[in-house]
Amino acid sequence: MVLLDIRDLDLSIARGGELLPVVQGISFTVEENETLGIVGESGCGKSLTALAIMGLLEGSAVRIAGGSIHFQGRNLLALAPVERRRVMGERMAMIFQEPMTSLNPVYRIGDQIGEAILQHRRMSRKQVHERVLELLDLVRIPDPERLIDSFPHQMSGGQRQRVMIAMALACDPKLLIADEPTTALDVTVQKDVLELMHSLQTRTGMSIVLISHDLAVIAETCDKVAVMYRGRIVEHAATSALFSNMSHPYTLGLLGSIPAHDQDVEWLDAIPGRVPTLDELISGCAFHPRCFAAKDSCRTVDPVAAAVAPAHFVRCHFPQGNST
Amino acid sequence: MLVYALNRTLTLVPTLLAASFLVFMFIHLIPGDPASILLGDAATPEEVAELSRELGLDEPLWTQYALWLANVLQGDLGTSVFFREPVLSVIASGAETSILLATMTMLWIVLFGVPIGIVSAIRQGSWVDQATSGGAMLFASVPTFWLGLYLILIFSVGLGWFPSSGFPSLADEGGASNLRYLVLPSLTLAAPNAALIIRLIRASMLDVSREDHVRTARAKGLHPARVAIKHIFRNALIAVSAAFGFTFAALVSEAVVTETVFSLPGIGRLVVQSILRRDYPVIQGVILIIVVFYMVINLLVDLAYASLDPRVSLK
Amino acid sequence: MSVPASVASVFRGRVLATAGTCWLLVVGIAAVGAPLLAPFDPLEFDPFVRLSEPGWPHLLGTDHFGRDSLSRAIYGARMAILIGSGSVLIALVAGGLIGMLSAYFVRLGHFLMRVVDVLMAFPALLLALVLMTLLDRSVLNTIIVIGIVYATTTARILFGMTLKLKRDVFVDAAICSGAGHASILFRHILPNLVSPMLVQASFIFAFAQLQAAALDFLGLGLPPEVPSWGNMLSEERVYVTRAPWLLIFPGALIILSVFSMNLVGDALRDNIDPRFKDDIAGV
Repeated sequence: MVLLDIRDLDLSIARGGELLPVVQGISFTVEENETLGIVGESGCGKSLTALAIMGLLEGSAVRIAGGSIHFQGRNLLALAPVERRRVMGERMAMIFQEPMTSLNPVYRIGDQIGEAILQHRRMSRKQVHERVLELLDLVRIPDPERLIDSFPHQMSGGQRQRVMIAMALACDPKLLIADEPTTALDVTVQKDVLELMHSLQTRTGMSIVLISHDLAVIAETCDKVAVMYRGRIVEHAATSALFSNMSHPYTLGLLGSIPAHDQDVEWLDAIPGRVPTLDELISGCAFHPRCFAAKDSCRTVDPVAAAVAPAHFVRCHFPQGNST
Repeated sequence: MLVYALNRTLTLVPTLLAASFLVFMFIHLIPGDPASILLGDAATPEEVAELSRELGLDEPLWTQYALWLANVLQGDLGTSVFFREPVLSVIASGAETSILLATMTMLWIVLFGVPIGIVSAIRQGSWVDQATSGGAMLFASVPTFWLGLYLILIFSVGLGWFPSSGFPSLADEGGASNLRYLVLPSLTLAAPNAALIIRLIRASMLDVSREDHVRTARAKGLHPARVAIKHIFRNALIAVSAAFGFTFAALVSEAVVTETVFSLPGIGRLVVQSILRRDYPVIQGVILIIVVFYMVINLLVDLAYASLDPRVSLK
Repeated sequence: MSVPASVASVFRGRVLATAGTCWLLVVGIAAVGAPLLAPFDPLEFDPFVRLSEPGWPHLLGTDHFGRDSLSRAIYGARMAILIGSGSVLIALVAGGLIGMLSAYFVRLGHFLMRVVDVLMAFPALLLALVLMTLLDRSVLNTIIVIGIVYATTTARILFGMTLKLKRDVFVDAAICSGAGHASILFRHILPNLVSPMLVQASFIFAFAQLQAAALDFLGLGLPPEVPSWGNMLSEERVYVTRAPWLLIFPGALIILSVFSMNLVGDALRDNIDPRFKDDIAGV
């Protein structure tokens, strides 16, 4: 069953009176109990895509310029704000990159988790308290009885991210969007959090959209991968297919850079140059200035997505993998 | 928390001592002999000599200060030249008016300032926001006595809704209904201060709304109003609470002008009249009391700050 | 960015701030050209036209001495500019020096900033009143008193800013290159503080008008015969019911000028170094 179906999503940012496209023609689907990984360097539009799905772009400079987001068969973009909020935090939840700042410093964590439950469920105080303890236990927080009354600043980064996960799971969502959930954490804690997410998925049957700049993280956890570059999906395939047959030069570049993944770096050593800024106009393929395989046609003609294998799409004139 | 409170109180002592020294020096900075200044023109040479000995005027300045401070700590602020009464009881007679006026003013500031500030922040950039921000700045640009005069002209002289001057004590005939005497003065005093609070609430809420945890709150599917109050305003309150405190602390002295316009028997008018009457013991006493009050309120603000922000109290 | 371009960028899209600047220019012209512009002598009594309504030849009417209100208002612009710029000068020079030196020389700063703390323990208006008690009523003394009151806040603000700048690399670089203290303070630190000081100056200018008017009203500011907007209000307030225009015009002049100055300060603040933005409270 298809849970999330995104078609031709366009996002634009208003800057100085004009609209600059930041995400162009993105399409993908997420099945129930499936994990989709979106990978790319910072600034490629992956986080904005996540915010668009969640419905959190309101109040920012970014607008949805076109396309559709269907969730459980309903187009989220056509919903009234009240309806939209009923989906947010209930059937769809999100965790963010910065566990240090993503919790409100003035409330106890138990109350912050409870708030998500109270918003969508009719429960007594006592029931909520029980449910919060259950959630803290679920995300493997030691001594939940004590930690339920602590403030965010009294906890470590790993613990806070667990609290964020507990908060997201409060109403048993069908879809969890995780935007760089482990980037800000220590390497050892990263592994624990990813494992936790995986085991929770097995238990609850939810789907996950995992956003990361780190191909290694994606490889370990995802069923499908979408590689994004400059607002577009440049390669899209099942994880096993992608890793056995990497076709886009950019994906290969990302793989080459796997060892240097302890920080959200602005550019990756294996790929020369930097991500171009939004207002730079690049003719032809947007990746050609940094591409080792670029030829003349790459400078003039923008490639379209084409299948190199069944359900393996690449947006490149000269795919590198072995075509079948 | 208790340790924090004690620590903060102790850090206040040096500033308090220095400020009291300045207040003490006030009499010495006025040209002339302190004893005759304190006693006024009508004093006999014998009285002046007597007071000189009492104040230790032939002793070094340091000893004089110690003597003065010892008296002050026992509640002896000297005797008013004009009233021929202890300074402390002269000041106490104005306290009721001043405190009631300041309290009522704070009430207006909270009542008008908080909701307007919140709406202005939520509707950032809309015409509502531009109107309130501009209006707030305009109100902060109006001289208080001018506003007071026109409020009297409209609501007392014109419409006859409120009395234009004076304030009988709540203990006098009329009881609590005497508070109507303070309506126009407190509104006058509230206008510029509410304007500052509106702009401050708006600015702090806009700062907080850019923080990550607000996005988390929105992701829970909370109603925007709930996000605005429970998450944005509550966190902005940490910064705004300090301004509430400073405002309240400054009201007693800022009321100088308003109390004069409305002829209210408060401490502020006492300052002005004492200056015009050259009643120096009273001036000195009032300054000391206001400065101590100002500092104590600021201390309370700090403590309130700590209780609003869980990150502070545990340091 | 060239100076005219940066000035232009402050006013682009800010109708109110531009209007405010125009009004301040009008006040400035009135102040400079007062003797030419004023139709009457602002001090001349005319017992035959006391409290006359606005009309010809007294466009804004006359006060209870029969003095021409328009002429007094025009000369009042002089006082407004004089008091505003005088207090700004004192506050910025004294406060600026104290703040910068305190941040630069740590030991001296320890002492000086305690003194500032003690002075700030006195509410602003009270401090002004106390100082006025010790001095005679005169234009100069009013300026000095208001200047001192705002010197304390200015010192506090510039102390914070200088500390931030001192940590910056370029000062280290200047020390390495063997620059003296004076050179570092005035050639490396001060230029960075000019635009935030300009913002602070515009707010002080605005506040000073209100403080001066309040002092005039309490009878502790300028000598009563001096034609200032505050004195015009203070002198004629008993006639508010008989001749309301006598209070409306000077009141409106004060409000317009303070409002304009605040608008300009606000517009300038949006364009300064973001590190310093939160340091200056203003309105």
